[in-house]
Amino acid sequence: MIRHAALFTGYELRKSFSNPVWPLFGLIQPVLYLLMFAPLLKTMTPGGTTVDALRMFTPAAMLMIAVFGALFSGFGLIADLRNGSLERHAVSPAWRPAIVLGRVAKDMVMLVLQAVLVLVVAFAMGVRIGVVELVLMLLLMAATGLFASSLSQGLALTVRDENGMSQTLNMFTLPLMLLAGLLVPIAFAPSWMRFLAPANPLYHAVEAGRALFHGRPADPSVPIAFGVFVALAALTTMWSMRALRKIAG
Amino acid sequence: MKEPIPQMIIQARGLRKTFTTRSRKGAQTVEAVRGVDLDVAEGEIFGVLGPNGAGKTTTIRMLATLIVPDAGTATIAGHDLLREPAAVRRALGYVSQAGGVEDTTSARAQVLMAAKVHGLADPKRATAEVLARFELTELADRPARTLSGGQKQRVAVAIGLVHNPPLLFLDEPTTGLDPQNRANLWERIRQLRESGTGVLLSTHYLDEADALCDRLVIVDHGVIVAEGTPAELKREVSGDVISLRVDEPERAAATLKPLARETRLDDDLLRVYVDDGERTLPVLLRALQEQRLGLTSIALDRSTLDDVFLAKTGRTLRDAGAAA
Repeated sequence: MIRHAALFTGYELRKSFSNPVWPLFGLIQPVLYLLMFAPLLKTMTPGGTTVDALRMFTPAAMLMIAVFGALFSGFGLIADLRNGSLERHAVSPAWRPAIVLGRVAKDMVMLVLQAVLVLVVAFAMGVRIGVVELVLMLLLMAATGLFASSLSQGLALTVRDENGMSQTLNMFTLPLMLLAGLLVPIAFAPSWMRFLAPANPLYHAVEAGRALFHGRPADPSVPIAFGVFVALAALTTMWSMRALRKIAG
Repeated sequence: MKEPIPQMIIQARGLRKTFTTRSRKGAQTVEAVRGVDLDVAEGEIFGVLGPNGAGKTTTIRMLATLIVPDAGTATIAGHDLLREPAAVRRALGYVSQAGGVEDTTSARAQVLMAAKVHGLADPKRATAEVLARFELTELADRPARTLSGGQKQRVAVAIGLVHNPPLLFLDEPTTGLDPQNRANLWERIRQLRESGTGVLLSTHYLDEADALCDRLVIVDHGVIVAEGTPAELKREVSGDVISLRVDEPERAAATLKPLARETRLDDDLLRVYVDDGERTLPVLLRALQEQRLGLTSIALDRSTLDDVFLAKTGRTLRDAGAAA
């Protein structure tokens, strides 16, 4: 089982890197966010320095990659549904969940690579973070990515249509993003938005990320975020594996 | 003393599958497969011939463990389809109608992946061998999207054969291929017979079933309407068929009936089934002349599987395909 999951992960990773331009584009986007968006936030940040703005924005950028990078990875699965390769793997002796898990694991590896790059850029711009906080941040990002990626795979297997898939994703992503305080902290929002925000799981991840970047790993937002995302990731992973079973009989 | 029974690689009994689709107009049920029995011997090329929508793909998908039959049983390579699906999958090569070739990566990567999933001892060597066998070595490292339809289909079959399965499923393998690529693929499927690989092939092409299959079943509306070797099936219908276009087809049919085993009228085309076309033709022409029936065209053919289909279902395969 683990051998098959590793096989599929390697296969998907090699596919991603067979055309290195695309993963590179994926890597560039968060860096551009740091370079061009963080300075915009400077005036709104208490303290008003670039480092203050980055400390607030870097965790948000990392979570943004985790959620929005991984949410779109299900499109690949729709293509493979159409060309029949998914069906072919389902008739092979492969452990079936490995077909989906391999894709999710590939997304996680890509996310960690992107996160490292973002951290290097943030470090170069003056942000400092402790080792414990760094590890926690990467783990939080992985849990968020696992949730988003498996949600995307499950959605792809359920919707089975590129148009339907992009409409569904669009419907969810904008409120998810704005109500999490990803770009602008929710503290600036009117009270009704502040009231709604805790219903958005991403909000807790962003809060926890900011606490970590401010050197407060014991902040209550951290265990809340981990609790929420570990539970959600477990649910969506199981759902995506079930969705595959429906296709494959 | 019992007679030696040829080893059966597929034995299916009473397979059934009904699909329910829900739409705004309410639930609709389609009985895709309504009780299919199959006996396929080891190493033979076995055809499932029928028009689109006859239940061919559903049958193959059930036997490939992709969908669970509503009723019926099957044993494949000695393993029970429902109780040991994993063992069935190990014994199978499966090439679906879509082909299953990914555009974004190379043929070699895809064949190699299949070899590894099957746990072959030397996946690299097995990959190189099957690529060479299908003359794909030169193309193997290009992204598959740059390959032609025929080349891609060869990749699809190579992926299905890398682990040397005793049984290969080919679901409409030549649909959409040009005549040259079809002939090329036919030749490769025939070669499988020499290597002892059994093939279950579905097709809606008569010439394909005729040219390739050791035995076949003809399916229509989810049931088997005929079974046998191509020669047996054609003999069963009749030796030859004379197709005529005449001015008054009904009167012509009545006139020719005593000369024929069977006559059949489709619009203005009259088919006369006879045992010996060469001898009957002059007699038939004389009869038409005596009755002063004007003749527009006439053709003498050996009967085809289409005639078998026509005899069994009352429709020609071409019409059935257009209606589906």
